Amino acid sequence: MQSSASAVVYTVPQDSFTRGSHQIMTCMSSEPKVQSKTCFSFPFKMGVGSSGLVNDIGPEHFPPNERYFGLVNFGNTCYCNSVLQALYFCKPFREKILGYKSQPKKKETLLSCLADLFNHINTQKKKTGVIAPKKFVAKLKKENDLFDNYLQQDAHEFLIYLLNTVADLLQAEKPTDKGTLKGKPGTPNGKLNGNNNESKPEPTWVHDIFQGTLTNETRCLCCEGVSTRDEDFLDLSVDVEQNTSITHCLREFSNTETLSHEYKYYCENCCSKQEAQKRMQVKKLPQILALHLKRFKYAEQYHRYTKLSYRVVFPLELRLLNTSDGAESSDKLYDLVAVVVHSGSGPNRGHYITIVKSHGFWLLFDDDIVEKIEVSAIEDFYGTATDVQRSSESGYILFYQTRDV
Amino acid sequence: MAASEGGGREEVKQQFTTREGGYTLMRLSEYSRPTRLTYNSQNHLPVKVSFISINDNTGCNDKIFFNVGRELYFYPYKGVRKAADLTKPSDKRTYKGSTLPTCHDFNQLTASPKGVSLIVGFSAGQVQLIDPVGRENSKIFNEERQIEKSKVTTLRWVPGTEHMFLVAHVSGSMYQYNEELEPVATAPFYQVLKQGEDYAVLTCKSKVPRNPVQRWVIGEGALYEFAFSNDTKYIATASHDGFMRVFHYDTMEKYGSMKSYFGGLLCVCWSPDDRYIVVGGEDDFVTVWSFHEKRVVARGRGHNSWVNVVSFDPYTTDVLPPNMDVYASDDDITHDSNHRDRSFSSYSRTSVHSGTGDGPPALSYRFGSVGQDTQLCLWDFSEDQILNFQPNRTRTSTQLSQSAQCNNVPHGKEASSLHPDGTQTLSNRPTDKSKEKSKKDSISRTPRQQYLSKIHETIMCMGSKAIGTTLCPKLDDVFRLEPLITKKIAYDRLTTLIFREECIVTGCQEGIINTWARPGKVGMSQHAAASGTVV
Repeated sequence: MQSSASAVVYTVPQDSFTRGSHQIMTCMSSEPKVQSKTCFSFPFKMGVGSSGLVNDIGPEHFPPNERYFGLVNFGNTCYCNSVLQALYFCKPFREKILGYKSQPKKKETLLSCLADLFNHINTQKKKTGVIAPKKFVAKLKKENDLFDNYLQQDAHEFLIYLLNTVADLLQAEKPTDKGTLKGKPGTPNGKLNGNNNESKPEPTWVHDIFQGTLTNETRCLCCEGVSTRDEDFLDLSVDVEQNTSITHCLREFSNTETLSHEYKYYCENCCSKQEAQKRMQVKKLPQILALHLKRFKYAEQYHRYTKLSYRVVFPLELRLLNTSDGAESSDKLYDLVAVVVHSGSGPNRGHYITIVKSHGFWLLFDDDIVEKIEVSAIEDFYGTATDVQRSSESGYILFYQTRDV
Repeated sequence: MAASEGGGREEVKQQFTTREGGYTLMRLSEYSRPTRLTYNSQNHLPVKVSFISINDNTGCNDKIFFNVGRELYFYPYKGVRKAADLTKPSDKRTYKGSTLPTCHDFNQLTASPKGVSLIVGFSAGQVQLIDPVGRENSKIFNEERQIEKSKVTTLRWVPGTEHMFLVAHVSGSMYQYNEELEPVATAPFYQVLKQGEDYAVLTCKSKVPRNPVQRWVIGEGALYEFAFSNDTKYIATASHDGFMRVFHYDTMEKYGSMKSYFGGLLCVCWSPDDRYIVVGGEDDFVTVWSFHEKRVVARGRGHNSWVNVVSFDPYTTDVLPPNMDVYASDDDITHDSNHRDRSFSSYSRTSVHSGTGDGPPALSYRFGSVGQDTQLCLWDFSEDQILNFQPNRTRTSTQLSQSAQCNNVPHGKEASSLHPDGTQTLSNRPTDKSKEKSKKDSISRTPRQQYLSKIHETIMCMGSKAIGTTLCPKLDDVFRLEPLITKKIAYDRLTTLIFREECIVTGCQEGIINTWARPGKVGMSQHAAASGTVV
C-alpha cells in the first residue's frame, strides 16, 4: 500500500500538494525572497481508484480491448498476484492462455483455473476494477502444500512452479505424447529451472515463449579437452552486486569460473577429477527473457535469509552480451515489459508489486490497486545505493520481450 | 572521511597510475557541505560542479559551485595548492520548496569581479539566473511552469552569447531563452520552424518577442545532456531513446546520429578538435562516433553499470601534428609555474607521444568516464587505431549508411491502435511555409498525443533497424577500446567529471567533490596544510 503511494507521484514532487510551495525558494541569499503567487494546478489524484485510472490514462487514449484489473489479496497472496499480473502482460503468454480456454477441457487444473481467471479479466465490461482470483488461489493451495498457508511466499518460486505446472499439463494433454514425462519442479535459487532429460518431451508453447538454451563449456586444465553440454532454461537467476547493472550481472553469470578443490570436475578424457574452467553462455535466446535477481541470501549469523537491497539498474531496452559464438540472432533486441518488485526486508516478509508496460505506458499493480506511473518512476525500483538500508523496493524478476522488427 | 564505514566493502582508491604518471587524491581538497555530512543519497538529484575564474585579487581566482540536495555552495577553489576551507562559503543557498536544483552553468563570457551570471535548473522545470558574486537580483524563468513542467537535466549558455541559454528537460524538449526578455504571463503557443523525421524546432507565436525563443522537441523520452562543439556550430544531444543526434545549431538541420547498443544515452561530449563525439549510457559502454565519417568507430567496455558522464581530457590529448617539439620534456612542464596559459587547442605535450619517439604524425585522444558503478575509467585512442581496424569477419561491414530511416512506418503496432483515425506521418511532410499551418496543428494541443505516438513508432522502428548499420554496428564490427584504468573511487554513484590543467575533479551523488592532482602537480605539502586547517 505504502509502496504504491510513493510510486505514483512522479510527474510532480510530492510535497507540493501539502505545502503549496512549488516556487523556487531560497534562503540565506541577500536578495529578497522570491515569492510567487501560486504553484500550479495539476489534475492529480492521490490513491486513485479504478475510475481515476481511466482519467489518468485519458478516456480517449484508453486502449480498446484492454482491461486493467487489480487482484484481491487473500492474506499474503501478493506473491501470486504480482506474478499473475506480470504474466498477464507478457502478451504471447496471455494470448496462449486465452486461446486455451476454447479447447475442450476435462477436469479442473491449475491451467484451467488460470485460463478462467485471464478470461474473466479479459471479458469484463468495465475497463478497470478489482477481481478476486479465488478459484485460482484455492486450486494453487490444493495442488501444492508449499503454498497452502497464509505465509508470504517467494514470487520466483511461484513463477517457476506455475510455468512448469502449465507446461506439464500441456504435455499431458497432448494426444501424440506417448510417455508421461514429467518436468521437474523449479529448484529454488537454482541456476536452471528447465528440463534436461535425455529424451526431451515435446516442447509446449510455454517452452516456445520462455525457454532458452545455455551452453555449458568445461575445459579440463589437465588435458585441455573441452566438453560442452546444453541446458534449457525458463529463466536465469543471476547474482547481484552493489551499484551494478543487469548487464553486469549477466556478464558475471557467464564469466569463466575455475573448478578446484572439492568442486573438481570429472574429466572423461583423463578419467579422473581435475581442475577445470567452466563458463555458461546463452546459445538460444528465449522469446521472453525472465531474469531473476538473487536478492535473498542466507545469512549464517542470523540463520535466515536476508535481502540484498543493492542498486541494480535495468534498462528498458536490452541486448545480451553473454551469448555463445554460434548463437543465432544473438543481438536481438529485448524490451522490458514487466517487473515483479519486492519491497521489504526478507523473502518471507514484505510485499510484492508489479509494474508492467502496456500500450506504451507503465502501470503499477499493487494487489487491488492499479495506477499509471511515469517511466521516470521506474528508477525507484532499482534498489538502494547505500548498504545501510536492508529494506527496499527493488526489482526482483524482470521480464524482457523480444522486439519484433 | 567519505561515507560510513561499511564492513568489508571494496576499498575506494586514493591514487592511480597511468602511463603519464601517478594521480593522487588530494584529501584536504575535498569539497562538500560545510559539515562534511553526506547527503541522503536516496535522492535522485546528481551532484554537479561548475567552475568560473574571475580576477578578483583575492589570491584565488578559481571558484567552485556545486549543488547537494536542497543546497547550493559557492567556494574559492584552491585546487591542488591549498586545503579547502569549508567553513566560509562565498555563497550558500537552500531551497525550501519542493523544487530542487539539478544543474547549473556559468556564463564564461560575462564573468567579472563585479558579478557573474549563473543559471540554475530545477527539478520542477524552472530556471533561475543568479549572481553568487555580485548578488545582483535574480530572475526566474518558467516560474509558473507554463512553458515546461518536467525536470531540467542540463542547461548551458550558448557559447559566445551574453544572454542566450539552452535548457534541456526530462520531457525531451530543449528551450532557448533570452534572459533579457520580460516574462509573459500566458502559456506559449508554438509554430513550427523546422521539422525532421524525429525532431522539430518550434517558436513562439507572439506579437512581442518572448521566451522561449525556441523549443526543440527531440526524439522520444528524456533529453539527458547536450553539448556544443568547440567551434560552437553544432550541438550534440543524448536521449533516453538511445540516440545521439548532431544538429547544425543555426540552420537546425540534423547533421547525423547514432544509436546506443541498447538503452538510453545519458551523456555526450566532443573531442577538443571536434573530430569525435563520445557518448555513454545504459548499455554500460562508452561509444566513439566520428564526426566526419558519421559512424560509430569504437566501443569501450569498462563500467559495471550505466555511464553518467564522459569528458575529454584536453591536456592529455594531442590534436596537433607532433612535429612541434616546443617542449623539451615532461618535467619542464610539470614544474613550471601554475599560470601557464594554455587552452586546450594549444599544444600540450604532456604524455602520449613523448615515449614513443618519431612515429608518424597521429592524433591521439584521452577521455574519461564515470558511472553509477562508482568507477572512474580513463581511455586512450588514436586515429590510427580506428582507421586501421578491420572487422575480423570476412563479410564487409560497409552497410547502408544513415539508413535506419523509416518512411511510412507501415506496421502500426501498439501506439497506432490508440489512434485508429491515423494521421499522416510527420516525416514525409514538406517544410515550406504553405504547409505550416497544418504542421502546427500536428504538434500543438490535442494532436500532441498523435504526434507523440507517431514519433514513438518512428523511433521504435529506427531503433530496431539500426543494428548492423553505421548507426549501431554489431559488436565485432567496430574497434573495441580497453580502458587505460578502471578505479572505484567513491561509495556512491559518480555524477561529475571535469578535467582541469592541474587536476581531475570528480563528484558523487552523496555530495563529496574530490580533486585528483595530476602527475607532478601535488602542489601542497600535506603536512603544512594539515596543521593549518580542516575542521
